[in-house]
Amino acid sequence: MSGWGGLRAMVAAVYLFALGPIVITATVSFNAANQSRFPPLGFSLRWWAEALGPRWLGPLLFSVELATAASVLAVLAGFPLAYAVARRQFPGRDFLAALSLGPLALPALVTGIGLLQMLHLAGLEALFGLPALVLGHLVICLPFAVRTIGVSLLSIPGNAEQAAMSLGASPFTAFREVTLPLVKSGVFAGASFAFVQSFTDYSISLFLARPGSSPITVTILSFLEYGFAPTLAAVAVLTMIVPIVLIGAVQRFFRVGDFLYETRH
Amino acid sequence: MTAALALEGLRKSFGAGPVVDGIDLVVEPGEFVTLLGPSGCGKTTTLNLVAGFQVPDAGRIAIRGREMTGVPPHHRDIGLVFQDYALFPHRTVAENVGFGLRMRKVGRAEVEQRVGEALGLVQLAGLEGRRPGQLSGGQRQRVALARALVIRPSVLLLDEPLSNLDLKLREEMRLEISGLQRRLGITTILVTHDQGEALVMSDRVAVMRGGRISQVTDPVTLYNRPADRFIAEFIGSMNFLPCLTEGVVAAGAVGSVVVEGQAVRALAPRAIKAGTAALLAFRPEQARVASGEAGELRLRGRVVRVAYLGGRTELHLEMGGRPCVVDVPSGTVAAEAGEEVVLAGPTSACLLFPAEL
Repeated sequence: MSGWGGLRAMVAAVYLFALGPIVITATVSFNAANQSRFPPLGFSLRWWAEALGPRWLGPLLFSVELATAASVLAVLAGFPLAYAVARRQFPGRDFLAALSLGPLALPALVTGIGLLQMLHLAGLEALFGLPALVLGHLVICLPFAVRTIGVSLLSIPGNAEQAAMSLGASPFTAFREVTLPLVKSGVFAGASFAFVQSFTDYSISLFLARPGSSPITVTILSFLEYGFAPTLAAVAVLTMIVPIVLIGAVQRFFRVGDFLYETRH
Repeated sequence: MTAALALEGLRKSFGAGPVVDGIDLVVEPGEFVTLLGPSGCGKTTTLNLVAGFQVPDAGRIAIRGREMTGVPPHHRDIGLVFQDYALFPHRTVAENVGFGLRMRKVGRAEVEQRVGEALGLVQLAGLEGRRPGQLSGGQRQRVALARALVIRPSVLLLDEPLSNLDLKLREEMRLEISGLQRRLGITTILVTHDQGEALVMSDRVAVMRGGRISQVTDPVTLYNRPADRFIAEFIGSMNFLPCLTEGVVAAGAVGSVVVEGQAVRALAPRAIKAGTAALLAFRPEQARVASGEAGELRLRGRVVRVAYLGGRTELHLEMGGRPCVVDVPSGTVAAEAGEEVVLAGPTSACLLFPAEL
């Protein structure tokens, strides 16, 4: 069974490389010395005390707010877009579909620079900070919402809404009773992907943030200029917990994983 | 008595041209009428117009005497069974079947009772709690049928409901659905391209072609007296032999034609001009292989192939270079390939059509 042995070794290596750095980072955050040593020198919670102070919790909260706003807006804008592309025939339909998925293919850095220049040219410097960030994150989050909602719309049996109407449901009732429940997991999957996408982004935020309205990623990045302190390790662990908890919670209720691995029905 | 469904001068075009091009049809209460035709003949569009999913360019639809112009689908009181069943995957069988009753604000106890009855009718009692994904194709079909029947609609519309089932199940369901329809006395319109289905299930069949109804009549008349060559070809098997008319033949009259030098008398559903090319038509099972007895139709041919089908045997003949098939009960004719035989048949089995479609 040497073939299986090789595969096992490969899987073990993947786990090691994926989880190793996280474990090391988490361990480093308990260093007693002001050195990012692994294995840690002694044990202390002082870096955690610092990480949980307002200097770091502020940006962390800001990131949560930003990601929440971006993902809610992405779903609100993405639903009609996905519905139109999945259900209607109209000129420019393919173009609209490509446009809504486009930002996926573009490096976020390019999108960030583009937005920066556009806001400058339009004289909208006042928007820098939260408004510009929400706008920028909406652009990169939208494809996730459109895609997952579109997939779940297409998985609905073609005539289900018509069947509901033939049975006496008004178009609105048919939408509420049939369409909405069937795309629910798509909506939540799209929203959580969008949330994570926004929460972990820094290449767009780098250009659109403003002192005082800076997401956690940008704050970490600017702190790195002074070197890597154990505080940063603690902050990194905190930052990881947010998306993990979110995905875990949503997955429990809506089977979000289906959108990553396969389509339903 | 008010007609259950009346279509008057119904027209509908999509871009390229008319898809439904002037449909007139009156369906009596309790009647089972089939719209039969090849794909693209406009039958499904006609159904969608009746259901209200599409708006006609011209014409009128009345259900139980009530004008349907401007009435949306959910106020038409129709039951609809789709080709893909269109069950609600997130709801149980009972919830699927009860959906229409819930929309009609029927009380919970009555919903439960009527859903139970409907599932009993389609022999699915006991599966109330299943979801569509846990059912076989045939069971889904039955759920779709129960869901449409339970609301006791004015008209039941069936859109190719059997085409996703395998052959054996399809043949069972034909009889079951038409039995159910007769028992409940529910006015039904079936859309299909399957002529066997149409003949077995319907009180009347409307054959559609190019957005119009070519003929609407009972299955027996349709089979024995098709109104034109298209219908004759579309329904069952038919032999066509080129012939020349001797004189004018009026519509519905018996005329004389010459086939391979022999005079034959046949009924012409449509008028035929003198001296024009025509086709003599007869069904494979309506001709016999004769041995000298008298008969109106007498044609000489050579056996090319004998195809044994079990209960029946097909003799593939050649008549002056034209293929022709005769279908006889097995064991009644001992002809072999290469043999010369004489075909005989009554005038009533022979039809005459203009050669051009």
